[in-house]
Order: sequence, then C-alpha cells, then structure tokens
Amino acid sequence: MSLSASLALSRRRLGERPGSRRLRRAESLTGWAFVTPATVVIGLFGAAPIIWSLILSFQQNNLLSSNTPFVGLRNYRQMAHDPVVGSAIWHTLIYTVLFVPGTMVVGLFLAVAMNRKLRFMWVYRTAAYATMAISTISEALVFIWLFDPSYGIVNYIFSLLHLPQQQFLNSPSQALYVIVVMTIWGWSGFAVVIYLAALQGVPKDLTEAAAIDGASPVKSFWRITMPLLSPASLFLAVWLTINALQLFDEVYLSTQGGPLGATTVMVYYLYQQAFENFNFGYASAIAYVLFIVILVVTAIQFRIGRRFTYYRS
Amino acid sequence: MGTNRLRTAGICALAMTVVTGLAACGSGSVATGNSKSIQIWEGYTGVEAKVFARMITQYEKSHPGVKVNTLYVNSDNTLQKVQTAVAGGAPPDIAYLYGSWAPNVAKISSVVTLTSLVKQPGVDWNDFWVGERDVATVNGRVIGMPALVDNLAVVYNKTLFAKAHLPLPSANWTWSQFEADAKKLTISSIKQFGTAYVTPGSEDTVWHWEALLWEAGGQLLNPDNTKAAFDSPAGLTALDALRTMSVTDKSMYLDPTDSAYANLFNSGKVGMLVTGPWDLSAFPNVKYGVQVMPSFPGTTGGHQTISGPDNWVVFNNGASRVKTAENFLLWLTAPAQDKYFTLKTGNLPTRQSTANSPGYQTQMNAALPDVSTFIANLSNVKQARPQIATYPQVSQVIGNMIVAVLLGKQQPKAALDAAAAKVNQILAGSG
Repeated sequence: MSLSASLALSRRRLGERPGSRRLRRAESLTGWAFVTPATVVIGLFGAAPIIWSLILSFQQNNLLSSNTPFVGLRNYRQMAHDPVVGSAIWHTLIYTVLFVPGTMVVGLFLAVAMNRKLRFMWVYRTAAYATMAISTISEALVFIWLFDPSYGIVNYIFSLLHLPQQQFLNSPSQALYVIVVMTIWGWSGFAVVIYLAALQGVPKDLTEAAAIDGASPVKSFWRITMPLLSPASLFLAVWLTINALQLFDEVYLSTQGGPLGATTVMVYYLYQQAFENFNFGYASAIAYVLFIVILVVTAIQFRIGRRFTYYRS
Repeated sequence: MGTNRLRTAGICALAMTVVTGLAACGSGSVATGNSKSIQIWEGYTGVEAKVFARMITQYEKSHPGVKVNTLYVNSDNTLQKVQTAVAGGAPPDIAYLYGSWAPNVAKISSVVTLTSLVKQPGVDWNDFWVGERDVATVNGRVIGMPALVDNLAVVYNKTLFAKAHLPLPSANWTWSQFEADAKKLTISSIKQFGTAYVTPGSEDTVWHWEALLWEAGGQLLNPDNTKAAFDSPAGLTALDALRTMSVTDKSMYLDPTDSAYANLFNSGKVGMLVTGPWDLSAFPNVKYGVQVMPSFPGTTGGHQTISGPDNWVVFNNGASRVKTAENFLLWLTAPAQDKYFTLKTGNLPTRQSTANSPGYQTQMNAALPDVSTFIANLSNVKQARPQIATYPQVSQVIGNMIVAVLLGKQQPKAALDAAAAKVNQILAGSG
C-alpha cells in the first residue's frame, strides 16, 4: 500500500471513530518523524548560522581570539559613517536597476522568438539555457577577454565601426556596466525558460479570437500575452532582484571590487571585511542590513506586483 | 501498513536523526585517543601533492606507529576553515597558512608557540632565509615553520629583446634602463607591450610596489608601525617609475583581473614581467631569461626584492599530539627533505644550505630554466612586510593608491599624501 493511501486510510478511520486520541497522536508523531530529518538539517546548516551571525553582529569578533566583547549597536552605527558602505549600496542599486529589467527584456525577447514550431528548435532552446549551465568562472574568463581593452573583440568591433576604444574593466566608470552585461548574459537563459513555459500556457483561442476581431499581432501581444505572462514576470522580478542584491561571484572573479572600488557591491564589501580584514562582527551587521533590505524590497515588489498581476483561474 | 508499524518506523528515524545529529556536533575528531596520529591540512596539487604523499609514506615507514593524515584544503580558504575548526574545538594538528595571515593567526589561542623548538640544537633556525624567519615570527614569538619561499624578479622574453636589438638585462641594471627597454619593446601596431602590472588593487598589486619602495630606500611604516612612512621621496620615486610606464610611455599592460598577464607573456605579447618562480612553468612557448630587479641609482636601497613566505602552523590538540606534530615538522623542514621536495617540484629551497649544496642549482635549472636566478635572489630579500594585524586594511589603501596613479586618475604626490592620511587613521585604530 502506498504511503498516501495508507495516510488517507488512517484519516478515514479517524473519521469513523471520532475521539480516538491514541491514533491521532500516532499520526502526528509519524508526521514529525518524517519532517524531523529535514528540519534538523535545515536547522543545523540554515537557521543556526543565521542566528549565530545575528549574535556576531553585536560583537567585536575576528573569529580568531576568544575575546569577543559585546558592543551593542556599534557595528550598525559604524556603517552610517563608513563611506565605502554608502558607495557599495549605490553600486548595488545601480547594478540591480539595470540587471533585473535587462535580463527580463532579453529573456522575453528570446522566449517569444523561440515560441514557435521550427525545425531544430530544441537546439536553440538548449543553447539559450546553456548560459545557466556554464560555470561562473568560465563565464567571467570569457568576458574578461571579450572586454580586454587591448586584445578584446568588443574593442576590435568598435575600431571597425570607427568608435573610440574603451578601457572597460580598467575604467572606474565602465567596469560596473561590463559586469551588468556579463550577468545579463549569464541569467538570460533562466528568464527564457520561465517565459517560454508561461508563453506555452497562453491559450490559442484567445489570440485567435482577438485576430478575428481585428487586433494586430502587436496589439494582441500587449493586450493578451503580456497580462497572461504577468505572474511569470513577477516571479522573475523578485527572484532576479534577490540575486542582484547578493551579487558576488562575478565581481570576485573579474575585478575584485576594483578599479578603485568601482565594483565594490554590498556582498563583496562584507566578504572583504570578514575574510580579508577579519571584522566578522562588522561583516555580519552589513549582512543583516542587506537581509532587511532584501526583505523590504521583496515585500514592496509583491505588494505592487499584486496590482498588476493577472492570474487566470 | 498498519499505524503501529508506521509509528515505530517513525520513532526509529527520529531517534537516528537525533543521534547522528549529536554525533556530528560532538567531536568531528579523526584521531582522538591516539597521540601518534595527527592531521595535516595542506593545499598541494599536481606534482607537489604526489611528492608530498611520497614523503609522508616514507616518514610513516621510518617512524612506526605514527600516522600522518593529510587533508587537501585550497590554500586560499585554509584560514577560514581553520577558524571554523577552532571554534568547533577540533583544529588540525598542522595547517599550511599564508605568511600574510601570520599576525592574525598569532591571535588564535590554540596556536602553539614554536620559539623554543626552533632554538633546539640541530634545527639551525638561522639556516632559513631571513625573510622566512621574519614572517614566521610575530612580536618575537615564532608561530610557524617555513613551508614555502618565493620572491619577485624580472622575467624577460629573449626573442623580443633580440628583435628590438636590445642588450639583455644585466645584474646591475637600473629602473631607468627598465623603463627605456619597456618603451622600445612596446609596438602598439601589433599590440605588444614592454611590461605588465596587475591592477585589481589587491595585495598582489601592493607587494610588487613594496619591492620598488624598498629599493628606493623607503619604508612602508615607521619602525614601531604607528605611522605611514611611504609618503617619502622614496615613495615618490617608486610611484613615478610606474607612472612613467603606464601613463607617459603607455608601455605597461594593466591587468585588472590578475589573470591575463601570464597568457600574454607566454604569447609573446609582453617583453618583461616582474613575477615569481611559480609563473615560470606557465611560459613554455617563449624563450625567457630571469634577472634580478633593477635598482634606483643614488639611493640606499640597491637591488632588493620581496618575498611572500608561507608557514606550517601547529595547533594544540593535547601535549602528546603537539609533540608528534612538532617532530614531524622538524623532519619535514630538515635540509634533506627540503632538498628532495624542491628538486622534485621546482619550488625554491627554504634553507640556505640547500641552495648552496654542490650541484643543486644545476639540477634545478635543468628542470626549470634560469630558476637559479630566483634562488640567488633570495639573498636580496632584506626585509618583510609589517607584521601587524591591520596590514590587510593598510594594503587596501595602498592598492587603491597605486591603481589610481597607474590609471592616471591621480598624481603620485597627491596619491601618496591621501593614502598616508588614511593609513595613519587605520593605525590609530579609527579606520
């Protein structure tokens, strides 16, 4: 007998004999037994570090010596006077504002282009999703060479078009945008898959009815397809924003926060504070502020998103 | 399935989870109870890993009853993992730790002081290069045994020098010759650069410049490490030399990612590199030579270089295991083992006596051309970076100062003054 069937059976028995407390207790114990392994694992590797880092954020702690004085809110107050925190927040915001819509637009464009019956379509779809399968380190290395000021293909194309040569990752005013391009490329495959799935859920009869009523394909895309994609868009906006605010890998692998701190984002700065400067207390405080920022931003997104999201039922 | 059996199964699962969970939190120990069994964390890969494993087998054979367990840990992450292990009460007995971490490592309470051990007869502490001893010592306390030593010298492409009709660098060359050579080796039409510099602003950016600063007769900080001292004429000389090449002559390829320069040199696109012996095996495609760093004539510095030695650090897991670990380290760092390991791997000798032993340098050169220059250059390591816990912050400020000058964003004098002010703040404890 399958598990769900046996559970259903015991539930039915409960209904037959109301008040059988022994059985109800047995059932709840069984339930606990099933969730306990997962709870313990999540507790150990998820919840415990979260609580511990909250404690750390109120300490002066380098994780080296056993002397870890409690300093109250000092770490949090220090952030207000740290100019690097200010610029790290600014860089993170610029990055997020460019990366999230950028990835969604690229993803939507590719998904619409691929949402048709064509020979070898699976090849194109696989190629689009491959960007997600490629490791960040290879991605970073490829982009480092593409955007190399002297040897990169991007500057070569610029020279063919008689455009001025750029410094890209060597330039404090351009490096962050190179990272935006790099990560949009890396994440677009994810957006493609989400949008493609949503597009296939758009019923043909609606678009056909619109066409009969004289709607142009463009109009029917904006009036019918886009609203039906809104749940997917909301999901992507939330998911990509959370990831954007936690940007680290690409920065660590390409510019290490430079040149001159131009790509120092929140998580990179807290990494530097923790693992280069051994200020684990301060780094934990930054992490907690970032956590609250993410919480607030996500809540706002859901609230605003609810107004524009259309769920077909 | 009946309810009872389901329940029993459930309770068993619950009990097992709790038990394994507790066991996992409890000890994590590998060798409890056996004082002759120690664990060592190292980051060796490839040839180094093979040779190291062979040496351990040899040690265990000649010391019956002793078991040396090795665990590979990427060296970049070792301190991070050691911190976790110390917090959990189960550190390794020995760990390979970067020298730049030493002042912070010294703060860990379970780190064993080796000061009296290295003074024992037969250890011959002064046989290790002074740069190594300096980095293993924090405030007079020895916290490690030298594990690796290197230094910076100039690696140049012989073919490109010949094409430019330039004489090869000599042992008494100067930075103005280096600048002139770099200019002549730069051919923008074929995207060939005279030299390259790593500009992520990290410690890799900083230590290259520190060698120049010392050669110009300067110091990073004052003798008691309380104030910046690099905002000096020597600091200006060192920074000006880099600026001439990067901004004025445009003979310097700037590598913000720290990953491109070696490939470019190996592709014959860069004439000269200031780098260490670890890069030599990455240049199979070019005929290269090695020369000591140029000097600044008229200054007191002469030819110097900088070394980034690493340490073996012992952690306290009870007196008897400390004893076993110490004995193993004394064996590992003894002249015979130093010679064996360096000959097999091409690493530089950690002991002067190894470098001077007959036939040694010829054998080393056979494996890696011109590596003997790096060995000889070890005697040009005359000082070490300041052994202070705030060095990482100081390094970040200096890294940004160098990058600002190299990118032409700041004039050397202004950059030095601004950086010195920031460093003084850090040293005063308000940074």
